[in-house]
Amino acid sequence: MLDFGGLGAWLSNPENWAGRYGLWNLVAEHLCLTFLAIVIAAIVAVPIGVAIGHFGRGEFLVVGLGSFSRAIPTMGLLFALVLVMGIQFRELSVVLALSAIAFPPLLAGAYSGVTTIPAWIRDSATAQGMTTGQLVRHVELPLASASIIGGFRIAYIQVVSTVVLAPLVGLGGVGFGIIQGLALRNFPQVTASSLVIIVITVTGDRVIGLFQRLAGARLSPPTPLEKS
Amino acid sequence: MKLTRIAAVAASIGLTLGIAGCAPSAVPSREPIVIGSQAYYSNEIVAEAYALVLEDAGFAVERKFSLGQRDVYVPALVAGEIDLFPEYTGNLLQFFVPTATETAAEDVYAALATSLPEGLTALAMSPASDQDSYNVTQDFASANGVESIADLASLTDITLGGAPELAERPYGPAGLLAMYGVTVSFEATGDTTVESLVAGIVDMANVYSADPRIQQLGLVTLSDPLGLFLASNVVPIASEAVNADARALIDAVSAAMSAEDLVALNVRSVDEKLSAAVIAREWLVSEGLLD
Repeated sequence: MLDFGGLGAWLSNPENWAGRYGLWNLVAEHLCLTFLAIVIAAIVAVPIGVAIGHFGRGEFLVVGLGSFSRAIPTMGLLFALVLVMGIQFRELSVVLALSAIAFPPLLAGAYSGVTTIPAWIRDSATAQGMTTGQLVRHVELPLASASIIGGFRIAYIQVVSTVVLAPLVGLGGVGFGIIQGLALRNFPQVTASSLVIIVITVTGDRVIGLFQRLAGARLSPPTPLEKS
Repeated sequence: MKLTRIAAVAASIGLTLGIAGCAPSAVPSREPIVIGSQAYYSNEIVAEAYALVLEDAGFAVERKFSLGQRDVYVPALVAGEIDLFPEYTGNLLQFFVPTATETAAEDVYAALATSLPEGLTALAMSPASDQDSYNVTQDFASANGVESIADLASLTDITLGGAPELAERPYGPAGLLAMYGVTVSFEATGDTTVESLVAGIVDMANVYSADPRIQQLGLVTLSDPLGLFLASNVVPIASEAVNADARALIDAVSAAMSAEDLVALNVRSVDEKLSAAVIAREWLVSEGLLD
């Protein structure tokens, strides 16, 4: 069923890479929407997650939002936001809808990173005279960084694969090639676009995974020699 | 551990059987006339009208509505799983013959009749049409003095909005340039094309001519003197399972449906949120085709 000849011909045709709806432009737009959505979500989610982990209050938010986000029909949210905010603000609507998807994993990553830090580490930091701010900045955030980056990783995968819906409300992204290709029955284009989405998804996941491992290897909490 | 594995296997077998069960069965017991429709409210109203007149005359009818777009249902139609389908002459012709050059209603119908696969017949076409058209806002039309696509040639910086596939259609940007000398930049506005036109994101938009919003929002449909768009009249496509009596009934429905009727039916669907069955029945009664 997969037409490799047509796929190669489509991908090697420079016309399909250039222009407003060329692949380069669509990939850039795809990544840009993904990036903006994750950044906006992270600005809100990470501090809240760290605070919940630090103070040990409001854990229900993490669980509740996590489950709630799975129940959101993304496409419905996308159209609802575009209709409510107006088509002029469709970029913002799409980014906000995507942020809603990115929010729960970022919150969970930040929360679990902080909450799993052993109590004795915090106690020793406090014993050395660290203020709450110093404790968060110099102890909790570095130790939680691997888990926080893990949240970004999940958020990236979910958002980058949902941006595919953006052409439905008049934006670009690689989903354009799929939606247009299906209507034109241009299956090499559909396959090529799907392939590009897979490549940027897997590559991004690997790159973030690399940072996650680096953070985890350098800063994993040491275990106490003996527990009393 | 073992139990969960058995449960998983059992569940996957159940799922497979369930999916297989959803596929259309190959049993050739085809007494009722199977009527299909697109996943498009307007098309469903027309299909419902066919179903109602056939039932009224004593035919057994099975409705298979909302079958998606052509890629999905045409194979089923060709395979004989569907017997009757309301279609549109131009769009269907373009589906079978992508390079078709006919644009006038009669020419398109004649070309379609000869390009249908074996076993399928185009019944008489209806005066009602639902075809691609270029529309601008009233403000744009009066500010620039445009009534026809040809009037656009003197303008620059026109953005055209439409579904992503419009970029590659024969009547898209390339056709506008070749036939009318109009240069446009294309903006894929997807499902928000009309909203984008009203909001001024695009200057001109491709909207189906029977879309109620053309009236409601006071859009100006530009005339197409050179025939850029294929005429697309409502046309019932029938298999051999639809006999002469049934065909006569369907022809009466097609003949009774005017272009204005189709728009009015669409308005009822969009504004009053009535079901296709209610809209079709009331229209048939008003036309004297049903008691």
